[in-house]
Amino acid sequence: MTYRERAALLRARKIEHTFEKKKENGYMDVDDYGTVPLPEGYSFTPMPTGDKPFFFGAMGNALNFAALLDTHPVYVDEMEILCGRWGDMLPHYRGGSFEKLYPYDSLEPEQALYGINSGIGADAHFACDYRLGLALGFGGLLSKIEACRTRNPVKAEFYLAEEITVKAIIRFIDRHIQEIRCRLKDETRPEILNTLHEMLETNINVRTLPPCTFLEACQWLSWFFIVSRIYDRDGAGCSLDALLFHYYVRDKEKGALDDEKATFILANMLLIDTHYHQLSGEDAQGRDQTNRLSYLVLDAAHWLNISVNLTVRMHPKIDPAFLRQAVTYLFTDRNGWPRFSGSKGLMHYVRNPGVTREDAVRRIAVGCNWMAVPGAEYPMNDCVKINAAKIFSLSFDEMMQSGEEQSLDNLMKRFDTHLRRAVDVTAQGIRWHLANQQYVMPELVMNLLMEDTLERGEDISVCARLKTVGIDGVGLGTVADSLAALEQRVVLEKRTTFREVYEALQCDFAGTQGERLRLMLKTSQRYCGGGTLGDKWANIVSLLFAQTVANQPLSDGASLVPGWFSWSSTIHFGKMVGATPDGRHAGAPVTHGANPNPGFRKDGALTAIATGIARIQTAYGNPCPLQLEFDPGLTAEEGGIERVEQLLRTHIEQGGTLVNINVLEKETLMQAHKDPSLYPDLVVRVTGFTAYFATLSPEFRQLVVDRFISAEEA
Amino acid sequence: MSLKITGMIADIQRGSLHDGPGIRTTVFMKGCNLRCAWCHNPETVSFEPEELFYPGRCIHCGGCERGCFSGARALCGRLMTVEDVTGEALKDQDYYGIDGGVTISGGEPTCQSGFVVALLRKLKEAKVHTAIETNLHCSPEVLVRMEEHLDLVMADLKFFDSARHRQFTGVGNEHILRNLAALTRPLILRTPVVSSLNDTEEEIGAIARFAVQLPTLLSYELLPYHPLGLSKGVGAQERFSAPDKDRMDLLAKAARECGAQVRVRGRVSG
Repeated sequence: MTYRERAALLRARKIEHTFEKKKENGYMDVDDYGTVPLPEGYSFTPMPTGDKPFFFGAMGNALNFAALLDTHPVYVDEMEILCGRWGDMLPHYRGGSFEKLYPYDSLEPEQALYGINSGIGADAHFACDYRLGLALGFGGLLSKIEACRTRNPVKAEFYLAEEITVKAIIRFIDRHIQEIRCRLKDETRPEILNTLHEMLETNINVRTLPPCTFLEACQWLSWFFIVSRIYDRDGAGCSLDALLFHYYVRDKEKGALDDEKATFILANMLLIDTHYHQLSGEDAQGRDQTNRLSYLVLDAAHWLNISVNLTVRMHPKIDPAFLRQAVTYLFTDRNGWPRFSGSKGLMHYVRNPGVTREDAVRRIAVGCNWMAVPGAEYPMNDCVKINAAKIFSLSFDEMMQSGEEQSLDNLMKRFDTHLRRAVDVTAQGIRWHLANQQYVMPELVMNLLMEDTLERGEDISVCARLKTVGIDGVGLGTVADSLAALEQRVVLEKRTTFREVYEALQCDFAGTQGERLRLMLKTSQRYCGGGTLGDKWANIVSLLFAQTVANQPLSDGASLVPGWFSWSSTIHFGKMVGATPDGRHAGAPVTHGANPNPGFRKDGALTAIATGIARIQTAYGNPCPLQLEFDPGLTAEEGGIERVEQLLRTHIEQGGTLVNINVLEKETLMQAHKDPSLYPDLVVRVTGFTAYFATLSPEFRQLVVDRFISAEEA
Repeated sequence: MSLKITGMIADIQRGSLHDGPGIRTTVFMKGCNLRCAWCHNPETVSFEPEELFYPGRCIHCGGCERGCFSGARALCGRLMTVEDVTGEALKDQDYYGIDGGVTISGGEPTCQSGFVVALLRKLKEAKVHTAIETNLHCSPEVLVRMEEHLDLVMADLKFFDSARHRQFTGVGNEHILRNLAALTRPLILRTPVVSSLNDTEEEIGAIARFAVQLPTLLSYELLPYHPLGLSKGVGAQERFSAPDKDRMDLLAKAARECGAQVRVRGRVSG
């Protein structure tokens, strides 16, 4: 059996797992994560800390992590070459311990008023420097903990917690080693016997020693991905191609590895976990970082063609053949990978205090919408959000109820005031988080691979060199189109009045005349129309948001970084907001990320949406992603790949930061929406993450369908 | 005061992936000199602005005279200057790359040749790749003036027999055949294939044999008729049916046997 054939079996097993998980958990509107179903009868009961009914703190988390790992099922599949998987995680059992220990009642009313996701108590959402782990191995990390403890005895509890954590990981690996030995007793197939022996030897080597071979490095990384998921659901990967390249070269030179085997090992690692990895990119001198492994990682994902989160970082000197290969897989495999980030826009990260050019170059795509400097940054990216649509709605209501002048100037003054207040309240929440998170849930696993954590005996939330905390705005399109509709229909055309619009919003455009007004507003000049009033207002609102966030003082060397991203919470954020002057009904979803309202142009021009979004970038290095799902109505041989590549290149050149993209066939999508079981292996990029379409709830499937643009219709 | 040249435009579509190579902006001129029985863009036949009516979209608000926002009534056709259209087309210039650009379609572009030539000239000044979709039922002089500013011609030939051409399009094909033979720019020749009208091996074979002799031919493309126009809300069209895949394969084979490089709906056949 070839490695390619084995990869096909892994893909089939993966789809079986997906359906078992759906049966076990119902709809899953989140990343696939690579989890496996838990066996019947499995359970875990956490141990409370002190007199509290929940666990917290360094020791509380370390002991429970160790207990969970000791309980967690092992996973060995003789078709694979790496072992390990996860199915349960500690966040399931933490249960809001932050607010119980460090309540923030005084902030809550305004957080609710402005629709703020505060991020208080949020875990993970930063990136490890995996070089540290690969250099030391788990044994080396234990030695480092010991050495640091000797120098810093007052932090004894912190070090003990870290020690318990690492030892639990080693025990977890040991249980897998036992399982592999059991499998070996019954195995007779020669090629499977060989790989099981390899798997055994690899794990014996990496349980304490630093990895020496390509296979060992991939197994070590996989272990870290699994245990960091179990601890805090962390999904931040690395620059896989750059990180693993020297192992690959060394093994190839020794004749111990060929490309087919390397591809299978990489495929196995991608199967184990959907961590976000970056490929290509540039170094500090602007040189392309694409290497042979960049191609092999793409090939590995192609072999599996499952839910994976790979981001290709585009830059002026990217290897054109590699970019073409990446677009080809996006186009031909049609499962929402890879996605593409853009150096030009992302390098604006240097505008933030304390950030060097090298930091900006090293800041890689490791989450749904977000980037982080491995080992150095604590950004809380994707955790903190402000509902701009709610702020707009509040400002409009307030103006109409005030008896003051009804004008766009007055409306924007109020919007500005409330936005400032919302950002200030959000900043207070972040300060509260930064001050206390270490006592609630120190990042015991990820701390191992961060700069200065072990050296200082401090959690990364305390000692990170870069605390560039991201705040995402939500509902840009809703706000921009509302302002444009008011300007066009009320101010310029005088077809209606602020009062009429206000009254229609109060009754959610009830009745035929309400519907007429709604359609009048909805057909005004939209954001991403191209030089429209909607585009004008989107620029104004985005600039205001960016400046307000970036200028908000924080403390302790921390600063705030603006972006636009809703995650897939457009439904959640929409439910908070009444009807809006863009013609949106009360409670309907707000616009997704930086995207426009559906129907933004009659021709749905991809070029118009790409340009519109490139122009509203906040330009501080956090993305305002372009989310695209479309049917090019063209095959590869008709030039479809070249056209998609041209679209990507231009958007990135215009300053676009991230493109989350689905190339789909309209008919497939519509049929899958109607009956998901017809397409069990259809993967879509829901927002930053990918998921099996069949496992999404009808509401989430509708979100994807609503965003869909068909070139055939254009 | 100088008079600005204006053209009657039915629509401008940005980000088009199907109207020629690369990513393109397609300018649909309004007004046509043929009356194809199966026309799928009936709103572009008349040279005058006209109101399209889609009764299914009406919300019965009774406010027709104050403007329709439901999409039930929609105006098709507006006068635009060369500068207006160029400005719209250049919005996407960054996306055109090496092969994308602007396609002038219709309607029939040659019917507004003064405007179209001025527009093409302007686009070439801006270094934009230009293409035209035309029936070539025009004078040789018009064609020469256009070709000066064109990179690609996409032209239709519906019937090789002039009498049948006249029967189903209202005009004979003599001008068209003459212009095709005189072209100096790269040509993609196309035939919209309509069941029971021109979907025979004899008809397609005759066109293909003619096509392969054309000096600038790049490829011969067969476009299966689609009934999209029937829902566009202007008048009622005679109903025709689309040829099935087997029939298209057969016709493609017949054309290939004449030595033509054949495409079916843009895709290389055989």
